[in-house]
Amino acid sequence: MSTGSLRPGQIVLRDATRSFSVRADNARTLKGVFIGQRVAGPPPIPALRGVNLTIEPGETVGIVGRNGAGKTSTLKVLAGIVPLQSGEARCGGRVVSLLELASGFARDFSGRENILLQGALYGFSKAEMEARMQTIIDFSELGEFIDVPVKTYSSGMFVRLGFSIAAHLEADVLLIDEVLAVGDEAFQRKCLRRISEQIAAGATLVLVSHDPGSIERVCGRVVVLDAGRVEFDGPTAEGLLHYHRLMGTEYGSGTSLRPAGDGGPLEVAELELRDGAGHTASVFPTGAALTAAIVLRSSRTLTDPRLVLELRGEGGALVHRTATPVELDPAGTALLAFEIGEVPLLGGDYDLSVGAGEGGDPPALQRTIRFSVPHGDGPQGIVDLRGEWRSLAAEPARR
Amino acid sequence: MGDYRYLFSQLVRRELRRKYKGSTLGVVWYLINPLVLLGAYTFMFSFVLHPQNIRAFPIFVMAGLVVWTFFQQSVLYSADALIEQGALIRKARFPREAIPAAVVAVQLITMCALLIVVIPIALAVRGTFGPDLLLLPVVVALLFAFALGCALIVSVLHAYFRDVLPIVTAALLPWFFLSPIFFQLSTLLKSHPAIRAALEWGNPVAPFIELMRGILWGGGGVTPGRLLYVVVAAGLSLAIGTTVFRRMEGELAVVL
Repeated sequence: MSTGSLRPGQIVLRDATRSFSVRADNARTLKGVFIGQRVAGPPPIPALRGVNLTIEPGETVGIVGRNGAGKTSTLKVLAGIVPLQSGEARCGGRVVSLLELASGFARDFSGRENILLQGALYGFSKAEMEARMQTIIDFSELGEFIDVPVKTYSSGMFVRLGFSIAAHLEADVLLIDEVLAVGDEAFQRKCLRRISEQIAAGATLVLVSHDPGSIERVCGRVVVLDAGRVEFDGPTAEGLLHYHRLMGTEYGSGTSLRPAGDGGPLEVAELELRDGAGHTASVFPTGAALTAAIVLRSSRTLTDPRLVLELRGEGGALVHRTATPVELDPAGTALLAFEIGEVPLLGGDYDLSVGAGEGGDPPALQRTIRFSVPHGDGPQGIVDLRGEWRSLAAEPARR
Repeated sequence: MGDYRYLFSQLVRRELRRKYKGSTLGVVWYLINPLVLLGAYTFMFSFVLHPQNIRAFPIFVMAGLVVWTFFQQSVLYSADALIEQGALIRKARFPREAIPAAVVAVQLITMCALLIVVIPIALAVRGTFGPDLLLLPVVVALLFAFALGCALIVSVLHAYFRDVLPIVTAALLPWFFLSPIFFQLSTLLKSHPAIRAALEWGNPVAPFIELMRGILWGGGGVTPGRLLYVVVAAGLSLAIGTTVFRRMEGELAVVL
């Protein structure tokens, strides 16, 4: 492995450019080449367009971005698995990657044999791997399954084994792509602990994830990629805010939950979120003002029009639900606002949904809009309880 | 960082497992398979057809078949080896040559095992060996290098162009019949020297067969011309194979 003048754990990407051709049949044939057959396919898709990145040993970098932003391509290029078309990609020292769930496994080998094989892929000798064997098996918690061919493994077991191996190969650079999310929570925590140990020992970590939570827990620096370019590169809190803003542009101004024309007696025609200055927004820091502007439209006269508003957090947990009767003007429309003076929510993504209808039954939800609250350094969770700490020692024996 | 010797031995083990997956007899199959093949060919051509009046015909045929089987199996099995091991290629940046090399190494093991069986039989039939026997390791090593070069080309080409394996398979059958396995070029085609020369020197496997036969069966097959030829053929094959492989290996993780 040519490391040039890089120190172990150092990473340099200079003007890294790479595109991939997309074809239904990705394998060509010699026949096609010889008879000059040219299949008109879509043009190559650029994955990286001049990415510049310098990472120092011991840094923990999270790469975020939309699907197709070039996150996984960056890791594959750093791992040396996919070559660049132009530019330069170099990693110092031993680079260990966890990119695909089943990559690096021989399906008909047992877990134990796969530990040896993966070690061999990184240039370890048999003795070096035998010395690590028990530690890896213990870490994986696979028990007697370690002697069963891995083709019988569940994806969770693959992750356990894959991570356990990768985490014990004394990597100078660890490249991890999303896979950690597959393991159960206890194992994830154990992995994070193991990763921090390695970082403390001087390893560099590059983590690709869609989960801002895990990036926040592990990474000190965030790189936001968009359409193959570095959009932001800096401290985690700021980077995630940037990421939320980037994702927010995709959320738009409310998605209809039902097909057009299928509105009931009362239709939610528009739904928009505005910040304190009255501008459309999709990111609301804790404590900021939030207004949901709603336009209702009815085609006939209603006796008891009602509106329901629901707020749900990640995973769909209900945060808040409220209903109100509405008054329609003679034209059958109503403009309403739901105002929150100070958003009491903590970091995460939230869905605000609105439905409207008539009388008795609670109306079905018709439109939904997503917004996010950036993660801060303060309290964690869903709701900011605004509790205050104070010492009780100063006022003894109050009865 | 360590070297990749252990990886190579792991790949050889995998290749052995791939060929004889799940068979209880295991290692025995390495020998039984080619021996049955050798036996069938020998029986057919020595006793049933018996086209030429050649002494010790079973040894005559076996010498050629050992070389041909090794070459053919090396090329055929290495063709889809990179595709089979795609999961490893997408994992780490190890030298990819190790994969086709492991396939050819397994065939080498099989050939050596066969030779260990054939040599005592040849000795029993002939009674004695000439000093040519000392050349056997040299010829085997050169044959290995030649087959490895071909395997490198075929394996990397097939990863990119998926019709390479069927093309190679189709080419190997006529190649088999044009190779001097059941006949001896020196006694054949005396009236057509051009065709004879083409069969003798235009087919790079032919000199290997003639040399192996010269060593095991006799008949003066070992000539300086042939030895020179196989040295050049092995060198060229390995050089071209390595060059082609190095040029094309970069995109392997993308095309697999």
